[in-house]
Formats: sequence, structure tokens, C-alpha cells
Amino acid sequence: MAEPFRFYECVSIVRMTGRWAGDIVDFLEILRQISRQSIFHHMHQYFLKPHVRPPEYPNDFAVWAADALEEKILAERLANLNPFEFTNIEEIRTELVRIITDYLKEYPPPRPVIEGKEFFFNEGITLVIPTGLEASNLKEFRCALKEVDASSIYFHFYEARLRLGKEQDDFSRFFSDCLSAECPGLADKIRSLDPYMYTAEVLKSKIEALVAGECR
Amino acid sequence: MILDDYRGIADQGELRAIEHLAGALRGRRFIHVNSTATGGGVAELLQRMIPLMKSLGIDAKWKVMKGTKQFFEVTKRIHNSLQGREGPPTKKMWDIYESVNRRNAERLDLDADCVFIHDPQPALLVEKKKRGIWVWRCHIDISRPNRVTWYLLKDLVQQYDAAIFSVARFAQSLPLAQFMIPPSIDPLSEKNVDLTEEEVNAVFERFDIPMDKPVLLQVSRFDPFKDPLGVIDAFKLVRKYHPCRLVLAGGTATDDPEGARVLDEVREKAEGDPDIHILLLPPFSDREINALQRGATIVLQKSTREGFGLVVAEALWKKKPVIAGDVGGIPLQVIDGVTGYLVHSVEGTAFRVRQLLQNPHKARILGEAGREHIRRNFLITGHIRNYLALWRAMEDKDSDLIYV
Repeated sequence: MAEPFRFYECVSIVRMTGRWAGDIVDFLEILRQISRQSIFHHMHQYFLKPHVRPPEYPNDFAVWAADALEEKILAERLANLNPFEFTNIEEIRTELVRIITDYLKEYPPPRPVIEGKEFFFNEGITLVIPTGLEASNLKEFRCALKEVDASSIYFHFYEARLRLGKEQDDFSRFFSDCLSAECPGLADKIRSLDPYMYTAEVLKSKIEALVAGECR
Repeated sequence: MILDDYRGIADQGELRAIEHLAGALRGRRFIHVNSTATGGGVAELLQRMIPLMKSLGIDAKWKVMKGTKQFFEVTKRIHNSLQGREGPPTKKMWDIYESVNRRNAERLDLDADCVFIHDPQPALLVEKKKRGIWVWRCHIDISRPNRVTWYLLKDLVQQYDAAIFSVARFAQSLPLAQFMIPPSIDPLSEKNVDLTEEEVNAVFERFDIPMDKPVLLQVSRFDPFKDPLGVIDAFKLVRKYHPCRLVLAGGTATDDPEGARVLDEVREKAEGDPDIHILLLPPFSDREINALQRGATIVLQKSTREGFGLVVAEALWKKKPVIAGDVGGIPLQVIDGVTGYLVHSVEGTAFRVRQLLQNPHKARILGEAGREHIRRNFLITGHIRNYLALWRAMEDKDSDLIYV
């Protein structure tokens, strides 16, 4: 019998690098050198953080470009970067640098930000917590998914793909490897979700709906 | 007080994480040290946090350093200087700082697996470190410190294993791990627990504040950084358009000798105005503050410098729209236009108050979003989870993905 799916939740604490930028050139310089953890953190903390109103864009770099630099075109280009198209964080760093460098060649340089709006480079440390919830079939999976919080989606979806270097999210893998007979199309449906368009809470409700659809 | 009391308030996942992290640290010793047992946000937080941690099986202890009047004058100078408002302490002042700290180091048993030293007052205790993880927990805004004062304090901070700041911009260039953890409020404390309307009314009656007009409230120590004089100016601008009252309520902490001078200035400015109520609250007035916040129409926190400004979270938790200075940790709590408004001047404060007095529906929407924002981000449960997570992470320093 295949291994059951074990649900984990996670807690992230923010470690500060002490590095910050007040203009786009400093930002670019630091971006080229800063740790992979920092890039991962700023590309993903949006998804884990509980929001009463989510920011306009799903990564911190785009939000800073829009709110602090007030460069809307740059913000839109940065927001449109989909980390799932890349297999590792170095590739994402290269793409971020390319987007900003191209922008600087195309447009006049943005003015420095006003005091208080600087970009502070941080890193996330993730502590993974076993929930004790397991699933060996679709019904059990549906019940457990209801129980876990959004941090579980964050861990099994975003962390799994980029930080742990897996080729697909944990849910799709479980459905294709272990439950393909019970629910043949579910893995593909989950894989076709665009996770960068949702917060982890919304993504959770989307997956719940897909799983519920299979249970009918 | 046990974790179960928070079921139905905090999210289940948060409580699960706490139980799991605490399970991994059960029986181990966790000491917190600060400089005052009453007054100020740090003492309030520790009063609530230590019993909760004990209930989770952690051997948590809170120790308060003993200081003289002279010592607290020196630490007030250090505090102001770190916030960029005064010059560095003199040699004589540093001598007082060091000798009081060393006396406390002899007196206090600080043998533990994890030691949190809160703020600059007891920072020198790190000299006593023998074992365990030592963390300097800085609650104040040191983003623009007097450079000499910071240079001298930095010598001590560098001896710690890690430092915690409430806001990213407070971080400094230091050769140790620095973390960002915001402080929190306890929804079940006297200061935040639900009150009946009768109790709220009774407190207003006791303080002789008629509830006949909208009430603007600022609760803060009488400290120049909280700009109580600017609040009175803003209030006078608002009153040209709307009848209203202003309540300035604050206490003084034992480590805050400057408070009396500021209070005199505030009293002088408000003299003869029957709509301005100045309340000097003694320690243990939490229930009264709770009632004042619940009875207020709008809550102000017009700080010009701020560590975190937990009083903002308290007001938001009570569904009050907050108009506050765009400094320190306030922008983390007041999301402009979502949970309140961020302001930068007396005029801006007056303008936003007028807007909300004119539009109570908007005020209600901001207040409701404010409560949910605090629930998700700034409750004591999340704070304990983060402290335990940090402790656990520091024991596995080289990893950024830790299976607990």
C-alpha cells in the first residue's frame, strides 16, 4: 500500500539581513548579491501572510516598485513574473535583474524613495510542523484539507516547488502517484491552477472545491 | 490562563503550532528580563505571556532589574538618544549604567536555556552569559540613533546570539542574527477583554467625561514623541466643524522621569477648555483604559517616533478606527484607508478626524477590518509562537527549513 499523505503546516519567522536600498541602483546591486533565501522570501511571503486586504501585487519587489518608487510599468513587469516557470531561485534572480536592467535602459531612472519607504531585504526561516493529519484516500484527504490552515497549502505548494526543488507540488504528486485510479483527472486539475494569482487561503478553497467535485 | 482559552479567537493552526513547538521545548528554562514591573508595553506583555508559557510546560520566568532614580534618568537619556533626540550620555552616566547593571547581574540568577533581555536598560547583563541562547529584544525605534550612543551600546549587543526588532527598519548592521517579531496584545487581558456598555458608561461617569459628543481619545504616556500638544492642536481644528471632546489618558512608568514635565505642558495648553479631559492614570488602570477605548468614537496615536505603538492594536481590536502617525510599527497596524489613516501633520490628523466624524459608516468599516487585522497578526498567541519558533531556530542555526 502506498504511503499516506501527511499534512504539514508551517511557521515562518523573518530574519533581517540588515541590507536596504533607497533607490533602484542600490536595489539592483543588492538583488544581485543577496541570499537565495531572501529572494524566495520576498517572492513568496505574500502567500503566507494573513491579509485583510491583499496588496495589489503578489511579490514584495513589485509592491515596492509601485508604492515606493511609483514606477507602475516596472511594478507590472515584476508582478507578471511567474516563479513556477523557473526551476530554481537563481533563475528567478536572473530574471528579476533582467527586468529591472531592461527597464533602466528604456526609461529615465526613478528618483530615490522618500525616507521610510526603503526596501529592507529579509529572509524567512520556515519551521515545519506535523499536524498528525494523514490521508490514504480522497475522502480522508478532503477531511484533512478542511482541518489544516493556509500555511499547509503554502508548504505543500510553494515551498515544495521552489525551495525543496520538487518538480511539482505535493498534492498533485500524491494524486498522480497514489490516487490516480480513484480520481484520474485531479492531479492535472490541481496542476493547472495558477498559484501566483491567489493567496494561500484562496488557493486552499480552490483545491477544496476540486477535491469536493471528485468526491461527488 | 491556558492556551485553550484562546480557542475561537486565534486560528486553530496557530494554536497547533504553539503546542507542537512548546512540546519540543517542554521543561526547558526561558528567562525574560526587563526594567519595570508595571507601566509600559513590555511589562504588560510579560505579565500575560509568562503564565501562558508556563501552562505550556516551559519553565518560564520573568525577572525585573532593580534601578535607582539616577539609573532611570540615565536610561531615559540612552532611550532618547537611541531615538535620535538627545546627545550621548556622559562618562558619569555610563558609569551609573554599568554599576547598576553589574549589581543586578550579581543578584539575578540568569542560568537558562534561553534568555531574552528587553531593551537597553538591562543590556549589559549579557556579560553574565555562561550558557544558553541570549537574545536582545529591542522594542524601541533605533532606526536613526545618535551614533555615539549606538556605537557604545553596540559593544554590548554584539555579545548576544541574536537580536529582535519590532520593525524591519529598526535593524542595524550587526554581526549576529537579527529577527523581526512584532509585539502583541492579549485579547483576554483586562485591557482588551469585552466589557458591557454599563461598565463603559460607568468609567466615563467616574472620570466626569460626558458622553454627549463624539469622543476622540489618545492613550499614551506623557512623552514628547507621542505629541500630545499636537493632538490638542488637531482637536481644536476639528472642533471648528464638529462638537467633540478630547481625552488624553496616560500614566507614567517608573523608568520615565520626563513624564511629569510633559504633563505640565499639556495641562497648561488645555487649561480652561471644558472639552479637553486629561487623565493621569495610576498603574493597574487597564480596565479603565479598556472602557475609554470602547467608549471613544475615534482613537488617535499621533506619535512622531514610536517603537511599535501597541495601543493602536488595542484600539483596532475594539473595532475603533485609528488615525495615527506614520512612524515605527504603526504602519504595520494601520493600513492606510483599510483599518484607519496614517497622518503626518496636525492638519492631516484634523482632516481625517473630520472625514470620519462626517462618515460613521466608513468609520465602522475601518474598525471591523482593524479587528480582523489584529486578530490575524498581532495577538499574544502569534507572538508566543514566534518566540518559540525563534528559540527553536536558534538551536539549529545553519538551517532555514527546520522540521520540528
